[in-house]
Amino acid sequence: MLKFIKPRRAGMMSRGKSQSRDERPTNKPDQTVTSGGSSKKQVLTPDLETNLREIKSILNNCSDVVYREFVFAQNEQLKLALIYTDGLVDNAQVSDQIMRALALEVPMSVPGQQITKARALEFIRERGLCIHQINESAQLEDIIRSILSGDTVLLVDGHATAIINKARGWEMRSITEPEAETTVRGPREAFVESLRVNTALIRRKIKSPNLKVEALRLGEVTDTDIAIIYIKGIVNEKLVAEVKSRLERIEIDGILESGYIEELIEDSPWSFFPTINHSERPDRVAAMLLEGRVAILVDGTPFVLSVPTLFVEFLQATEDYYHRFLFSSAIRLLRFLAMIITLTLPGLYIAVLAFHHELLPTALLLSIAAQHESVPYPVIIEVLLMEVTFEILREAGIRLPRPIGQAVSIVGALVIGEAAVRAGLVAAATVIVVAGTGIASFVIAYNLSASLRLLRFLIMFLSAFLGLFGLISGLAVIGIHLCTLRSFGVPYLSPLVPITGVNLTDTLIRAPWWAMFYRPRLIARQNQKRLAQGLKPSPPPSRRKG
Amino acid sequence: MRKKIAILLLLFFLSGLLGGCWSRSEIGEEAIILGTGVDLTEDGLIRLSVQIASPGAFSAGGDTSGGGKEPPAWVVWAEGETIEDAERYLAMKVPRRIYWDHSIILVIGERMAKRGTEMVSNFFLRTGEPRENMWLMVARGEARDILQAQPMLAKTSAQATGFLTRMKTGYIVQIWEYAEMRASKGVQPVVTGVEVQDFGEGRGPGQGENSTVQKKVELSGVAVLKVDKLIGWLDAHETRGLLWLKGEAKEGAVIVPSPGEPGKEVSIKIRRSHTKIVPEYDGENLWFNVNIYVEGDMVEQQSRVDLAKPEQIKALETAMSEEIKARTTATLEKAQTEYGLDIFGFGNAFHRKYRKEWREMQNHWDEEFSRAGVNIAVEAHVRGIGLLSMPAGSPEK
Repeated sequence: MLKFIKPRRAGMMSRGKSQSRDERPTNKPDQTVTSGGSSKKQVLTPDLETNLREIKSILNNCSDVVYREFVFAQNEQLKLALIYTDGLVDNAQVSDQIMRALALEVPMSVPGQQITKARALEFIRERGLCIHQINESAQLEDIIRSILSGDTVLLVDGHATAIINKARGWEMRSITEPEAETTVRGPREAFVESLRVNTALIRRKIKSPNLKVEALRLGEVTDTDIAIIYIKGIVNEKLVAEVKSRLERIEIDGILESGYIEELIEDSPWSFFPTINHSERPDRVAAMLLEGRVAILVDGTPFVLSVPTLFVEFLQATEDYYHRFLFSSAIRLLRFLAMIITLTLPGLYIAVLAFHHELLPTALLLSIAAQHESVPYPVIIEVLLMEVTFEILREAGIRLPRPIGQAVSIVGALVIGEAAVRAGLVAAATVIVVAGTGIASFVIAYNLSASLRLLRFLIMFLSAFLGLFGLISGLAVIGIHLCTLRSFGVPYLSPLVPITGVNLTDTLIRAPWWAMFYRPRLIARQNQKRLAQGLKPSPPPSRRKG
Repeated sequence: MRKKIAILLLLFFLSGLLGGCWSRSEIGEEAIILGTGVDLTEDGLIRLSVQIASPGAFSAGGDTSGGGKEPPAWVVWAEGETIEDAERYLAMKVPRRIYWDHSIILVIGERMAKRGTEMVSNFFLRTGEPRENMWLMVARGEARDILQAQPMLAKTSAQATGFLTRMKTGYIVQIWEYAEMRASKGVQPVVTGVEVQDFGEGRGPGQGENSTVQKKVELSGVAVLKVDKLIGWLDAHETRGLLWLKGEAKEGAVIVPSPGEPGKEVSIKIRRSHTKIVPEYDGENLWFNVNIYVEGDMVEQQSRVDLAKPEQIKALETAMSEEIKARTTATLEKAQTEYGLDIFGFGNAFHRKYRKEWREMQNHWDEEFSRAGVNIAVEAHVRGIGLLSMPAGSPEK
């Protein structure tokens, strides 16, 4: 039921889904604007004029919709009308394959004999159009949606059915390198804003008939195309059903980015931690699908959601699987360290400097004390000052037009690095801590580092009030919270908590490919084995000793 | 449910504030003590001297506007009935909170040590803040002088002394080890000795411009305590014997006469060593078998002997064990006859082997020890002879 826009005609745009929702018991009063009309679908009439009038009245003031009436080449009496949205169609196709074909070049089925009005629709469908994909519909609602989605609708006088030609073509960004998830080694393509291109990018990687792409439309006003992608046979069927049911309960006026959906279907909306991951890399999404996850593609954004999401995913970079495993494992450990630094280093610094000086070696303590001689603030104020400045600089760097970004980084580096220390506002050690933390936060995936950045401030306050005790209790609370999280039924910390031995091969380390036999056990429940045994390269048996 | 959780979370975070930054102290508000000295004054009061770091002098490079000429430490003292009493008087003179945690050394003056080290160590072991791994030492003279001495290669005398002890050239004690020795009846405590010696112009902390003589700190042997009172000293030579008998001669060298040419010496650097004390008791006679095992590398010789030859090495090893035996015997005799104190921990070895007998002997152990016979056996090995097999110009064989 439409709640977010007042429809111009009762029931015109209601959908099957909305109707089924009407049948559900609801405590809301029935919407007056749509009362009575929702159950009756509007259909075309055989009269072209009436149909056109009807469509024009629905789409009035839509100056981008084009109506083109013309006469059929085979029968002067037969009027045809093309309706499409300018800018969403491929002009060349519409002119050449539809207009020219029908108005000038249609061949005779029986030479010298005119096509009668009654046979016209069938004839046009069978022989008149050079469009690769056509549909037919008599529903006004379908027709309007098709027009607005970029299809070209052909109305034939005397027929209550319209031919919908898929001659879409609009300006879009070409496939470029990923911006947020760059790699040294690996494919250099990223998703784009067009859903169809994105599904094609995945299909190019997984050429299996089991790769299922289910379509869905969300957003009462925007009518955004959504695709649910999974690999049948690997995915847990219950998971697919759960994803669908969560998506179907969404009632919203518009979906402009996958973030809308993420917030509407995630398990723990209040948690600091993201329980749905996203990626702009087709190879990463393909890997997710191969592990039994479900991907949700949204038209209009290059970011694809994948569920269920595990905490360790944020420490796994796509590239880990392309480099040799020893290096990848070392980098994984480094990332884990960076995560801990991001979360705790400023807190630890505050706790040690405000409470536990005995933890520092004497020489270091004296050096830090020397730096603090001229600093007027307590250490918490000092760190907060620098942290907030750093966050502002970071935000400025993202938000500013690119040419100015350079200037910001120079000013930022000078202000933070030199001037603040020289002015005696902060100690040099504080700058090192804040800068180190900032750099460490860039190492882990952006959505996790965003959560950790927030939690870092919490840890800082706890450390400032309670010292190491506060730091540890803060970490304990975070740890307990992480243990309670689930993403689509899968424990967030798995395979670490609960521990799943066979899946530890892909957590803090990345085992060699010939040793990663199993998909994540709690995600791909039915079909876990992904690799044959004994693939470790070794000399042929004939050359082995004995 | 959500309200409940929200309230719980709120309580959790607000309870953090209840502590109200309890025991918080900013680094800039603390007087960081690097060294502590305790003396007994003429009129029987305890004088507590502390060496406080002035952080400005420790800033690394860069900003030279503030520090530079500032002396790195300030030695200040106060007198009182007890150490805490003196500390309270000290607090009147020091504009920051006195912070003990980084005190590297605790020096007890000679007069104070004669009165009793327990009166000093009690405070430092009982209060939580001073570390138990402070180096404990007894000064020959006033402890305050040690703190005021001018260090070389370190900014303050406390740090210099700390580094000096870590070189392990003498016998060194941390305050917890002292406490352990005090608690045990099977060993009498010994504590590192330190002294100041003059050298050149004075520019030490707290000495100001009126002092002309510069003083440096030196480790000097070991103070022998009876129960907790200083009764005598071992010099550097005797300290080596003590280290051998305690099994702590891990570093250093043994100088032995050359096996080929009398009057010339050979130096052997200790690579590793250990000492085993085996007590024997038959109800009447008590004696100890001390087995010292040592491995070393020859690093120097004054003679012109071909020490690459096995028989020369053998001779060298014999000479080495003789030398160690002589040193240990000297120290042992001093302990047995002059002081009558078991400073080596023979009692602990006896306790481990004869638990029943120990129960009755522990109360007069030092007399038993003085009467006991000791057999010292040294097994010495020379493992390496360095990069030269023969001194240049040696006659060919």
